[in-house]
Amino acid sequence: MIEVIHPGILSIVVDGGRNGYADYGVPSSSAIDLSALKILNTILKNPTFAPAIEVIGSGFSLLFHAHMTCAITGAKVETVHNGESFNTWTSFEVRRGDTLKIKNIIEGFRYYVGFSGIMDIEKTINSFSTNLECGFGGFKGRPLKKGDIIGIINPRIETSKTIPEDIIPNMKPPHMIHFVKGPEYTYFVPKILKSLFEKNTLSCYKVSPKTNRTGIRLEGIPLLFKKGIEKSIISEGVLPGTIQIPGDGMPIIMLNERTIGGYARVGVVTRADRDLLAHLKPGDEVQLRLVNKNEAKRLSKRKNEIYWAYTKTMKEVSK
Amino acid sequence: MEYLRYSEDGIRIVLGNTIELSVNKAVRRYYLYLKSLRIEEIVDIIPSYCSCLIRFDPDAITFRNLVSRLKNEETHISVFDVPEPIIHEIPVEYGGETGPDMGFVVSYTNLSEKEIIAIHTSNLYTVYTIGFMPGFPYLGTLDQRLYVPRLETPRTKVPKGSVGLAQLQTGIYTYESPGGWQIIGKTTSTLFDHTKEPYCLMMMGDKVRFISI
Repeated sequence: MIEVIHPGILSIVVDGGRNGYADYGVPSSSAIDLSALKILNTILKNPTFAPAIEVIGSGFSLLFHAHMTCAITGAKVETVHNGESFNTWTSFEVRRGDTLKIKNIIEGFRYYVGFSGIMDIEKTINSFSTNLECGFGGFKGRPLKKGDIIGIINPRIETSKTIPEDIIPNMKPPHMIHFVKGPEYTYFVPKILKSLFEKNTLSCYKVSPKTNRTGIRLEGIPLLFKKGIEKSIISEGVLPGTIQIPGDGMPIIMLNERTIGGYARVGVVTRADRDLLAHLKPGDEVQLRLVNKNEAKRLSKRKNEIYWAYTKTMKEVSK
Repeated sequence: MEYLRYSEDGIRIVLGNTIELSVNKAVRRYYLYLKSLRIEEIVDIIPSYCSCLIRFDPDAITFRNLVSRLKNEETHISVFDVPEPIIHEIPVEYGGETGPDMGFVVSYTNLSEKEIIAIHTSNLYTVYTIGFMPGFPYLGTLDQRLYVPRLETPRTKVPKGSVGLAQLQTGIYTYESPGGWQIIGKTTSTLFDHTKEPYCLMMMGDKVRFISI
């Protein structure tokens, strides 16, 4: 069992997502940084998409009621375990009565805390992820609170591992987000598209404080709709990473909480950069860069190679 | 049929560009047929007014291979036995505390509350798509006389079960949420229950009739 001493700003249970029900309007609600979740579970020797806790903010603290291995990935954080301070991404042994506290966030926004063993919660619509807006899934359909106790089924001790610093992705702002054209790319004045997304000659966007787990709102130079173009579209499906442009011209990057949208879709964030969306925090500078499908594929391949490098490194460590 | 790329993991199949029953029927046929194939590499299918958006696993199949597979299936779509849509009767308590925007709708449309209820309950609506929140049906087409704009400032809290109007659509909130539709009533029917399969009462293409209680 683990006990929540402090939930940070927001902590929720997530997994690989609630897939296969989008035709009923059910969004994925998965971990936003899916690679961080995969690596977390790999070092813990759990199934790849086993549930973990996605946390925003420092101060998050747990009390352990059993002996197990714990790991943290995602944002780089300073962790204090029984008075000893160390940096992530790493797994470490914890004993009954130990406390863990996230003292400081060094880089990035969301971090993932997992345990070797399976969290004792029930799946809702085939997933452990929390749908915050509707209040279902995860731990009782809500964010974690002080005093919550979560069972860990068959907790195990695994070899402690640390991911080498040079393999951890860069999460420092300004962020460069690559995207491919969306269905309504041609709705906008080409000159502005070009200077914003191709040459990046215009200044960066800033992440708005109105950002939440549904979408990242950007502030900066608005996109202009061409004359005579109807600004809203007939509502249509959207996928995670879709960049929508409402009437005011300010981009909203949709995360994993919507299946249908009615705003023009200027682009879709490349698969390679979707994990990074988890680390865009209010006030961060963001640059959006248009790439073609081949470049997107290349970025994705490179990212996969890095991921394989992780698992390879881990195998070597465990020998 | 056109198969368009939607990023690296999506395929958009566009069957029209207007809000029309005939287009939506074609989408429904395509969607139900595709769903019946249970293609493993397809993660999700999102049918809406004029299109189907497919999300697939690009690590398991390429865009090109999936499109050629879908093209091979095309000839079967027209002979696919599409099930009859289900008709749902939804009881609604109109006006009063559960329909806080009824007053606005009365003044905007120049109709009495009684007339508004009579018009709203006389149509047999089609579920054009489901989204915005789990189980939320976008119902159309609304009688022109009930056309109202969305709220200028969306409410921070619309209760579950609220029945709303927005432009030529009507819909039902399945969870409490922020929202900008004009709320004229509330139903006690459960449209989405995350604790029980099949979770969702309605499917895209189903029909809805409102009953005043």
